[in-house]
Amino acid sequence: MSSADIDSVQAPPRSRSPLRVFHMLVDLCEPLVEWIIRICGWSAILFVFAIFFFVIREGSEMLFGGIDFKEFLTSPNWRPDSVVRPQYGILALLTGTVAVTGLAMLIAVPLGLGAAVYVSEFAGPKTKETLKVIIELLAAIPSVVWGFIGYIVLGPIIIWLTGAPVGINVLNGGIILALMSVPIIVSVAEDALRAVPDSYREAALALGASRWEIVLRVLFPAAKNGLLAAVLLGVGRAIGETMAVLMATGHAVQIPKSLVDPVRTMTATIAAELGETVSGEEHYGVLFVIGIVLFVIAFAINLTADLVVKGIRGGQHD
Amino acid sequence: MTDRPSQLGRWYVAPGAAGPADGTLEQPFSSLQEACERLGDSPTLSHARAAEHDEGRVEILCIERARGEFAAAGQPTHAYFVDPFTPVEGNGSERKPWESFPAAFAGLARLAREDRLRLAVGQRIEISSREVFTATSLEKWKSIKESIARYIFLAMALVCVLPVVAILSFLLYKAWPALSIDFLLTNPQNNLTAGGIWAPLIGTFFLVLTSLLVAAPIGILAGVYLNEYATDNWLTRIINLAVMNLAGVPSIVHALFGVGAFVHFAHMGRSLVAAACTVAVMTLPVIITSTREALSAVPMSFREACWNMGATRWQTIRTIVLPNSISGILTGVILQVARAAGETAPILFTGAVLYVPIADAGWNYVLPYGPDDRFMALSYHLFALSTQIRGVSDELLFGTAVVLIGLVLLVNSFAIGLRIYLRSKKKW
Repeated sequence: MSSADIDSVQAPPRSRSPLRVFHMLVDLCEPLVEWIIRICGWSAILFVFAIFFFVIREGSEMLFGGIDFKEFLTSPNWRPDSVVRPQYGILALLTGTVAVTGLAMLIAVPLGLGAAVYVSEFAGPKTKETLKVIIELLAAIPSVVWGFIGYIVLGPIIIWLTGAPVGINVLNGGIILALMSVPIIVSVAEDALRAVPDSYREAALALGASRWEIVLRVLFPAAKNGLLAAVLLGVGRAIGETMAVLMATGHAVQIPKSLVDPVRTMTATIAAELGETVSGEEHYGVLFVIGIVLFVIAFAINLTADLVVKGIRGGQHD
Repeated sequence: MTDRPSQLGRWYVAPGAAGPADGTLEQPFSSLQEACERLGDSPTLSHARAAEHDEGRVEILCIERARGEFAAAGQPTHAYFVDPFTPVEGNGSERKPWESFPAAFAGLARLAREDRLRLAVGQRIEISSREVFTATSLEKWKSIKESIARYIFLAMALVCVLPVVAILSFLLYKAWPALSIDFLLTNPQNNLTAGGIWAPLIGTFFLVLTSLLVAAPIGILAGVYLNEYATDNWLTRIINLAVMNLAGVPSIVHALFGVGAFVHFAHMGRSLVAAACTVAVMTLPVIITSTREALSAVPMSFREACWNMGATRWQTIRTIVLPNSISGILTGVILQVARAAGETAPILFTGAVLYVPIADAGWNYVLPYGPDDRFMALSYHLFALSTQIRGVSDELLFGTAVVLIGLVLLVNSFAIGLRIYLRSKKKW
């Protein structure tokens, strides 16, 4: 076919609808559009830096000079309202966070991994789909609702069962956080188990292993990175959780001595006290410094989880 | 696991029996030793030998002479095994079976002679030769262990799910008397201790809408960038890490960011738009991730076909990629809506307040909040009702909680349903 033939082909009549004109304009500005897309693509980095920048900016006065870091990290005395000498020690808050998160993980990790194993290895296709949908829905329940459940429903039950003076305490927060982090642990762990090639399972079956043995001796070792990532993300969610712990752990700034002691976590402290402070004062700045600590912890956990997951992908090639 | 092997022979032993014995009920052997020796040697009892290469079982029952036969049901008191296919130096156990029935009788006779095997009245010896492919008791035990494991894992899965379902049902039960259309459409009254939840409900609606307007374009375009433009290099890796981090940063840190960036730095003050921007940044990863997934489900050949027609990258995205993935992207947007509606911490200090009076009728009833106004939101309302206000009736409290949960779960179920429907309709 010569070029003349091509030229002679009649082009279809072009409609001049406004949409079409708009599209033509958009196509003309393709470089512009591509730049917009590019900038939006980079926006995630931008926002992470912005979060870091603005939280540091608000806390800068305290962070650079205003704060005694030795006291900040090692003193259990959190007395921001003291007229004589305000003290800003976050040890008790840190302990509160660790206690509640630790208890939550003690409950959530075995349950979550067990549930993930059931969903991925034992359940039939219908059960599997149903359980996955339910777990996804559980993950969607807002944290304030979890806090409400802890405060209104679980609190009285704990008082009734343990005879504790207050129902909102480490135990309550731990249980609530466990129920909250289970969905994320299950879904990430299930992904990790599904990523183990079927040939591994078939090889083990051919050797006469039962499914129980396959889970313990084949799947867990093969998926250990993904499972670790699941646990890390669960920890991340539990540490960063705010509303639920604000409502379910009580308000006592103290190092807990038993499961039924009320505590205060770092996140809850910010949520409870930021409203009472005014921009620029010491207390306000210190709360932002706690925010930086939380940001750094969350960043470290996510980075580790990412590296661990990348480890699986690297390992799968050999 | 098959049924027990069929019976090939049954002989009787009656301690103290005298006279000629052939092992029948009428003329039982006088002792186990005699029985085994006779059965092993006697050519007249050769039908026992015939069983040698077959699957089946023979039994030796010990009876009291006077009472005759007794029920020989149930598990034998002594079980021995014969396996002609794996001849080993056997001792009759399941792991080391005898190689034939005569060997079995010889072995049993020796045991009886050495007084290591006694048969009391009412007891029964069973010697079974099994088929190659039937389950041994070892295998049965393994399968029992497996089903135990299965039930343990099932229990763990149920423990994750059932308490929450029970709690939600309890909440619904407690809230039931309060739930009505009026409850939704009435403003809170009497210092929030009475009335309905219209003001917070409409506040949440505007918050979600505004945050959607901010997050959806950025998130969708970011997803387009990551799936269509980004190559596998360090920059992309950093972007992925940033998206993951954005999702992992504690919500209260997002709130601090909102206070620092939008309320103070951008001079928005505590307002609907500041809160919406904060929520938008927080929920951005939801949209980015699902857009990306939706786009990557479009087959590469579609794009290649389009490029071959001379279309540019952007034209391909606009005419081929986006139309083919729009429903998947929509799913992500719906998930963002559900997430934004439930968030409390990020709006605590950026614009949500305990109470804003809004009119009970007219324009102000439907459009109560401008972008610069402080607003009421359902999630914050629930927080305030349960922790900060005294004298709130149970119905109001539980009603608010159930409406919030219902809203979030409904929107989420819609997204999940849409996803399942799309998957089933998938053409490629």
